[in-house]
Amino acid sequence: MTDLIERPPSEVTPAEVTPAEPGDRTVAEHPMGLSETTGPNRQERANLPRRLDARPESRPDQPIKRDTIVPMEDSQAERLLTTQSPQRPQSTPRIRIEVDGRVVEGLEGQTILEVCRDNGIEIPTLCYEPKLPGFGACRMCVVEVEGEEHPPISCSRACEDGMKVQTQTEDIRRLRRTNLELIFSDHNAYCLPPCQNKCPSHIDIPGFLKQNAEGNFRESTRIFKRTIPFPSVLGRVCPAPCEDHCRRDEVDEAIAIRDSHRYAGDMVIKSMLDENLDPPIPFDHQPATGRRAAVIGSGPAGMAAAYYLLLSGHDVTVFERDPAPGGMLRYGIPQYRLPKVEVLEAEYESVTRLGGKIVCNQGLGTDFTLDDLQYQGFDAVVIAIGCYDTNTLGIPGEDAPEVLDGLEYLRTATLGLPYPNHKGKRVVVIGGGFTSMDCSRTSIRQGAKEVTLVYRRDMKDMPASNEVHEAIEEGVTAIFQAGPVRVVTDKDSNVTGVEFIRMALGAPDASGRRRPEPAPGTEFTIPCDRVLLAIGQGPELDWIGPGSTGPKATKNKRLQADAVTFETGRPGVFGTGDVRVGAATVVQAIAEGRRAAYAVDAFLRGNDLSTIRARQTLAEPQPEFLSIVPFTAEVKEPRYRMKAMEAEERNHNYVEYEIPYSREEIVAESTRCLQCTCEAIGYCDLRRLGIEYGTTLTTLEPNPHDGAGLRSVNENRFTGINHDYVRDDSHAFILREPSRCIDCGRCAQVCAEVVGAACYDFMRIGFDTLVTTPLDMSLNDTPCVSCGRCAETCPTGALMPKPRVLQKYEVDESRCILCGICVDACPYDALRDGGEFELAHSSREEPMIDLMAMAQVDRETEVTYIRKERDWLQRAIDAGRYVQSDRLLTVLPANLTRAALGNGNGNGGNGANGNGTGHGHEHGGSSGESHGGSHAHLK
Amino acid sequence: MSAILPSPRGWPSILLARAGAAKPADLDDAVKAGAFEGLRRAVRELGPDGTIAEIKTSGLRGRGGAGHLTASKWQAAAETPAKSRYVVANGYGADPSASTDRTLIETDPYAVIEGVAIAAFTIGAETGYVSVRSTATSAIRGLEVAIEAATARNFIGEDALGSGRRVEIEVRPVQGAYMLGEETVLLKALDGKRGQPEQRPPHPATRGFRNAPTVVQNVQTLASVPWILRNKAKAFKAIGFGEAPGTILIDIRGHERSGVAEVPLGTPLEEILALGGKPAKGRSLKALVVGGPTGGILPASLLATPYTFEDLRGVGAHVGSGSVIAADDRACVVDLARLLTRFAADEACGKTIPCRIGVRRIAEIGERLSAGTSRGGDVQLLEDLCADVVGSALCDHERLATLPMLSSLRYFRDELDAHLLRGECPAGVCRPIRLGATA
Repeated sequence: MTDLIERPPSEVTPAEVTPAEPGDRTVAEHPMGLSETTGPNRQERANLPRRLDARPESRPDQPIKRDTIVPMEDSQAERLLTTQSPQRPQSTPRIRIEVDGRVVEGLEGQTILEVCRDNGIEIPTLCYEPKLPGFGACRMCVVEVEGEEHPPISCSRACEDGMKVQTQTEDIRRLRRTNLELIFSDHNAYCLPPCQNKCPSHIDIPGFLKQNAEGNFRESTRIFKRTIPFPSVLGRVCPAPCEDHCRRDEVDEAIAIRDSHRYAGDMVIKSMLDENLDPPIPFDHQPATGRRAAVIGSGPAGMAAAYYLLLSGHDVTVFERDPAPGGMLRYGIPQYRLPKVEVLEAEYESVTRLGGKIVCNQGLGTDFTLDDLQYQGFDAVVIAIGCYDTNTLGIPGEDAPEVLDGLEYLRTATLGLPYPNHKGKRVVVIGGGFTSMDCSRTSIRQGAKEVTLVYRRDMKDMPASNEVHEAIEEGVTAIFQAGPVRVVTDKDSNVTGVEFIRMALGAPDASGRRRPEPAPGTEFTIPCDRVLLAIGQGPELDWIGPGSTGPKATKNKRLQADAVTFETGRPGVFGTGDVRVGAATVVQAIAEGRRAAYAVDAFLRGNDLSTIRARQTLAEPQPEFLSIVPFTAEVKEPRYRMKAMEAEERNHNYVEYEIPYSREEIVAESTRCLQCTCEAIGYCDLRRLGIEYGTTLTTLEPNPHDGAGLRSVNENRFTGINHDYVRDDSHAFILREPSRCIDCGRCAQVCAEVVGAACYDFMRIGFDTLVTTPLDMSLNDTPCVSCGRCAETCPTGALMPKPRVLQKYEVDESRCILCGICVDACPYDALRDGGEFELAHSSREEPMIDLMAMAQVDRETEVTYIRKERDWLQRAIDAGRYVQSDRLLTVLPANLTRAALGNGNGNGGNGANGNGTGHGHEHGGSSGESHGGSHAHLK
Repeated sequence: MSAILPSPRGWPSILLARAGAAKPADLDDAVKAGAFEGLRRAVRELGPDGTIAEIKTSGLRGRGGAGHLTASKWQAAAETPAKSRYVVANGYGADPSASTDRTLIETDPYAVIEGVAIAAFTIGAETGYVSVRSTATSAIRGLEVAIEAATARNFIGEDALGSGRRVEIEVRPVQGAYMLGEETVLLKALDGKRGQPEQRPPHPATRGFRNAPTVVQNVQTLASVPWILRNKAKAFKAIGFGEAPGTILIDIRGHERSGVAEVPLGTPLEEILALGGKPAKGRSLKALVVGGPTGGILPASLLATPYTFEDLRGVGAHVGSGSVIAADDRACVVDLARLLTRFAADEACGKTIPCRIGVRRIAEIGERLSAGTSRGGDVQLLEDLCADVVGSALCDHERLATLPMLSSLRYFRDELDAHLLRGECPAGVCRPIRLGATA
């Protein structure tokens, strides 16, 4: 309010009236939902009506023409504002203070905070509400003033001329940090779920689990597809880094996140096959742009890029070198883990159903060049050819014919063909990744006599560690901490064994795993007939050259492409997926492909690629964990596990060995999700300050107690007793989550001082103090007018506008009974009485049932009833209202009854009915156009 | 009403001069003893400016604990332009272990009323409030009788003492938490709002009750004012310690006798304690809790400390509620500090984070010490947290709430270490978990 008063109206520009949203809010409305959490509530919050919008431009009885511009000076509100004595007139003396060594100017009477903010110096606040005087509860805005013992808080300390203020000294920052840590020690809530954070593609995991729990598997899949198009495929092959970080682990066991989306995805595939329903799409399919994009490679990265490009309205053709699409999904992952026809092809159909074309048997460099593609009119080319060049060990004997490339072996094996001469062989598989696991387990299935898996590090450092026990069950021998020295061959170059050396674990390397170091004198030989190498792959880049000039290789033999814009050296050509980062997991590849699609989309729409850099960085969740209280719950309910076929049965066939969940199981499992997520993420001042003041962890701490798994529990110095309040969603528009409340008191102040309803206040005492309603009653029982200002001012997610998808309300006038309740209740005058409105039997000021009077009478007796009726009649006569004679009590005083009938004016008889209908006509006919009073549009 | 402990011969008697009067609320008796002479001198002889000058000369400081100069408060209130001004006498007596204010009111209600009237006349206030805990019914009744009698004789009222000034005095029983002893909290409570402090500055003297300049003084301070005007400032300044002249009421507990005594400021703690007699038979003095629940825990070696605002702050205690409690060797200091801190945490109004959560965390550190479940670095954490709570505090409650733990850390480190390192409580009060030999 002070803002308005102190400046002449001409200075109030529209931009100030509705402050520009910070960058991430605009990003949130990107059709692809780049946001951390998405949902209608986000828009709701942005759309919350603001005070200024609500100021009535004229009285309802003085209709104005819409196209006439009323000068601001002439409006009644403006006159009112200018004639009232301003709090700080323009003539207020100016003062100068020194802030952080900079001299800034302010007006006398302004607080330090106001002067600093006017001059662009940011001081953090949590409880400060610009409409109101400083409150001083959060102690975040403390500053150092020269010559004062205790640092004052800047929100309520008036400036004095010549004052020297420091806002960012070490001591001050330490005080703020301690404050934040104290808040977090009693902040029993979570912002970004660790699972979502740890997922390379940042799936909204609590979101889809919630839908799963309610049995909405289509909606669950739709949420999933916002970030990953293939829930069923990922449900089988993902290493599920999310589950390592699940907070449910602090209660009992992590949620089966991967198996949950697998089930939902399978349900969608089932409905696609059985009922020919299209799979759900995460965003609106954008209108065709007429742009063409070529994607080279139909692996996970390429197909993800194709999927999101198709949704953005581009025409996409995928080129595949092999006879069938799928890349590593088809030729690298065995049938028993990922059924090709039932799952892979079915999921890929979601791409072709969107209009994507897949051309097989077309390899980059062999069948076409980049030049060819661009000549054919492709506006953008995405290279996602993956990694197919297996690394070599660089040890003697490696060139023996029986030392095989693991990928080459799998390629044959996953096509369903028995690899030549594999049956009965003794096989050694070297490596610890998923390829090595697939090689070992497939070898068992192909009848190898002995399969030995050798890995140079410890089992827990193995990328595929969660699959080891299944391999061992099936008959694989696993040896850890041993590295190959040479391949032993006889004179005919036949492999007879591999010599290994034991590895000791040294200091941790860059990946955090302990570096293996050979221990001399520990050599041993494993006799074998065949060696499969699965020690990682690099991309094949020999296609770079004539016809495909431009893209370059990096030092590490990867395709050089930007990490955010995915540009290669050649305009319109992008590189993504394993070819850019080296062999990685499927989920990483899909994340790459999705992010590349945004860049390509921006390119195809002619946007500057450098601008998406900032947007992408904002949109991707930051790897920040706030130090909040550990989750404590009483109810333990262990994980529902998927059952697997017996090892003896599965080790000789290629049928998928995991037995899917039943519907009951999946719903129960998804219900276990703690929903560690907050709707306010992105708006939360507490989170922003927590990150700024370093009360965060960039990663999760390993759990020191049992050595396994990672936990979100962390080192808040003050962790102690904390509160666990009950969520209150009884109100239709405002969601209260008291556990997220930091007791700043802003809602209480705004509700009391600005709105006047005073629904909230500080309740209870000491540590248990909480800003809440009296007796914690529902907002429905308070004088709440549902204006939403409390939710608007809340710095955290304690008060939230409830998710609503409605943008606009319409009044069905054929059903409106003109009760006027909506007009009365609307805090923003969005609905108003029309011109010829008031003809009704009773007005809102004089309800037919006098509730107040009734409340005063303990027990209704005949006497009180008659007295009430008499009083009502007296008032009606005094007000000159029409009274329906046949509804009057016969025992009423005769003089009153006569008077009442006298003012009836012959309108007599069936008044009530006639009133209602006649009224409706007039209202709808005349007032509608003149000032839009009856066409109510609530935003 | 607590017992009044007799002072040694030769100690001045200002506040409790009328102790033992048969009818404290009888106006004639009071006038005979000199009541309203001070007001008369202020009205007839000194005038507002002269009164402030006289108070300034006397060096009178607030007895509420902080020890601010009374004259400068009055001056600030008188100089601030305003339509109305108020005087509030704080007789709430928040500390459950001290009944000094209440004893004073019951002993000499006219001194309080006269002090309020002088202050109101001096700063130009028309209304004065005497806030009393609503459970102190006899004090309230005494005040009401006294106000009625004084109004009837025109000492106060529409035209107080013919000064042409209106001075109304009202008793306001307030009920609530410990926090109401804080002046800005009390003003909120008087206005019917939740008792929560406001940021100072602005001090109440410039912007207080209903945003008007308000002089908030402890009843002891106000009751000293008539004596000063009656006996001249020089006589007052001669009493007690140079920087803080006059006497103060102290509630002494823990030894043979408990009760309220009037003591000149600057008296060593040892002499104050002697008024309560000796420790119980076969026991020795171990510690002193000086200043009430948020006071400091001092060792017996500091018995020579003079009872002044600065000296007590220097050793880590404060005047506070005027309570001095002796703890003998049966008490465990860790347990005592834990209990006091927890009291302060539970009585906090909950407005600020350092107070609501910070003080509670300090109490939790104490509870962990007492239970033997301390975490590594808890002692360092205690020091850091206390420093930060003091640094970002809103009112004195949270600043002072750190004192019990900090002073026990400062003076009783051995006892703390016994809990922390050896898992034993020398006094046998706590039952800490005994850790393994390596701990």
